[in-house]
Amino acid sequence: MKNKDDLPESSRRDFLKNASLAALMAMAGEMKLRAEQAAQTATNAGTTLTEIPPPPTVNFGVIGLNEWGREILRTLALMKSAPVVAVCDHYGAAMRRAAKEAPAAKTYDDYKALLADPNVQAVVIATPTGTHREIAVAALAAGKHVYCEAPLADTIDDAKAIARAAREAVKLVFQAGLQQRSHPEVDFLLPFIRSGALGQNVMARAQWHKRDSWSRTAPTPEREQELNRRLHKATSIGLLGEEGIHQIDVVSCFLQKRPKAVTGFSSLILWNDGRDVPDTVQTVFEYPAGVNFLYDMTLCNSFEQAYEVYLGTDAALMMRDFKAWMFKEVSAALLGWEPYARHDVFYNETGIGLVANASKQNTLLGTALSFQPYEHTPLYYALEAFLINAGQQAGAVKDFFQSYPDGELKDLAETLKTLKTKPAANWQDGLEATVMAIKANEAALTKQKITFEKEWFEL
Amino acid sequence: MKLPLIHALNRLRPSTALAALAALAFCLGPVQRAGAQGRYNSQPRGSSVRVNGTSTTHDWEMESTIIGGYIEFGAGVTLDKTQAAPAGLSDNKAPAKAHVIISVRSIHSKVAHLPEVMDNLMCKAMKEDRFPTIEFTLTGLTFKGPHAAGQPFNFDTAGELSIAGVTNKVSFPVAIECLEEGRIKLSGSAPVKMTAYGIDPPAPNIGLGLMKCGDDVKISFDWTLKERK
Repeated sequence: MKNKDDLPESSRRDFLKNASLAALMAMAGEMKLRAEQAAQTATNAGTTLTEIPPPPTVNFGVIGLNEWGREILRTLALMKSAPVVAVCDHYGAAMRRAAKEAPAAKTYDDYKALLADPNVQAVVIATPTGTHREIAVAALAAGKHVYCEAPLADTIDDAKAIARAAREAVKLVFQAGLQQRSHPEVDFLLPFIRSGALGQNVMARAQWHKRDSWSRTAPTPEREQELNRRLHKATSIGLLGEEGIHQIDVVSCFLQKRPKAVTGFSSLILWNDGRDVPDTVQTVFEYPAGVNFLYDMTLCNSFEQAYEVYLGTDAALMMRDFKAWMFKEVSAALLGWEPYARHDVFYNETGIGLVANASKQNTLLGTALSFQPYEHTPLYYALEAFLINAGQQAGAVKDFFQSYPDGELKDLAETLKTLKTKPAANWQDGLEATVMAIKANEAALTKQKITFEKEWFEL
Repeated sequence: MKLPLIHALNRLRPSTALAALAALAFCLGPVQRAGAQGRYNSQPRGSSVRVNGTSTTHDWEMESTIIGGYIEFGAGVTLDKTQAAPAGLSDNKAPAKAHVIISVRSIHSKVAHLPEVMDNLMCKAMKEDRFPTIEFTLTGLTFKGPHAAGQPFNFDTAGELSIAGVTNKVSFPVAIECLEEGRIKLSGSAPVKMTAYGIDPPAPNIGLGLMKCGDDVKISFDWTLKERK
């Protein structure tokens, strides 16, 4: 066996050069997080490595302009390269309110007309879940990049139909609206958790607590029924589908496993206003190797709001409002950087803040990150990832066919795999999370255990 | 154990066996002589162009896996991988035309963190908004010989390289390898000075001071093409 002394000098030099490159880019990563500070200290007027280029422009159409649709419009308005050129809703008042957010956009009351608009390159679908299949499949067929809100659908058949259409649309980007996948804090934590820093997985726990009726009022009974679709089993997959899908998805992403089964419980405790969707649910997802994920949701009490906790044999990790802390067992080995990290006390526990630049150098220089919330909302990061990935892919597809006029789609797919994309939930992630949410809701409603079948997740 | 073909030939009379072998050689000939002639178009798989550079802090590398273009050998030129030299040469020169196009935006940094920053620096430096492609036009192809059976053929190339709107005459060695299924692969590398193409070597501020890229870069490539039927 060779030892390091056997390495030729050139290899060792290459290794050192590569190592210094990695160190530099790690610093560049830190500087992204403190871009404002770096910009102030820059003495050279030239390009800085903190200067993130604007992505190629992608023209957006937004379909579905209720509360969330308008939030999407406000978020896209923050991005230089994401002009909203078309909006669509069949409800006039929603359209008029949306027009204030996107005054330059063409208005359509039929999504098919919006999809026929050649100026629209990408669509965001924010309509009620039951309509996603028809619109998403048509949008992909029309050659539009698609961002489809989560859950993808309220039936497994519909979710599969969307996923199948997305898989076949090789030239296009399809992103499921599982925002956490694109959040920089999740991106930072994923390799940390997967590296085994917490030891062997023991269990995961999460909650989503809010005191809110979810009830909406409207000028007409028909409109009111439409706005309150979340309150009825016939038009909603309940708390677990409407909100829980995001935490269910991120926990599965961290655990890197698909659950084997889910058991649920549900009650309607506070909001007895004619709804039949429970206002409180508890579920237990069983993962391989005896690891369970306990998840509870309620609209009746806001205590501790929302967070996720991962317990390992060496440490626990809590993620809350896109900040994370690690709580180490006294017997766990030191990783080395902990003394330089921020520490916060939670009752009798001390949490070690997990941020990107916890290093001795930054501590000594006084440049360690303050533990501030991220600059943007999770929706912003998700839409930004969609914008960047769609723009990059459109350029690559064009380059591919200019270089290989007779190129085949399977070769294009291989080429596209080499692109460095922003983290985002693809059709597979969307399908998996949707199936988990649908079945968890079913388990909660029937208060039974449901074993996940492989075929539900596969096309 | 004898191969079935040898066994069958042994059962024939000598004259018949010779005739059969001749016929077999004739049939196998085109396969054994599999080589290059005619026009070849760029193929999606098996191509990459790499740009390697230096800086005051570290070496860097960028890569594209999309190379467009063609090479066309003149009448009579055949690269038979079993022969010591290509056929159809005149004073070791092979009549050939080639044009290569690489989209600047398809060249991406290989760093793990924020590759788009380096991509952006390079696109700006190469004036991608005005000159979106790097192009090379072949003007001369000279066989360097001799060729060892089964190995690539080595040539010297001469041509015109256009980067960022500036065209310069260049020459560099290239190896042409005959692959299966009518494909060939051209491999080589060429040193390039950025300033020769009006490109100011990027000197971004990295917060701790300037990181100045070196003027010299190396462009290396593996370009796979397939015979046009």
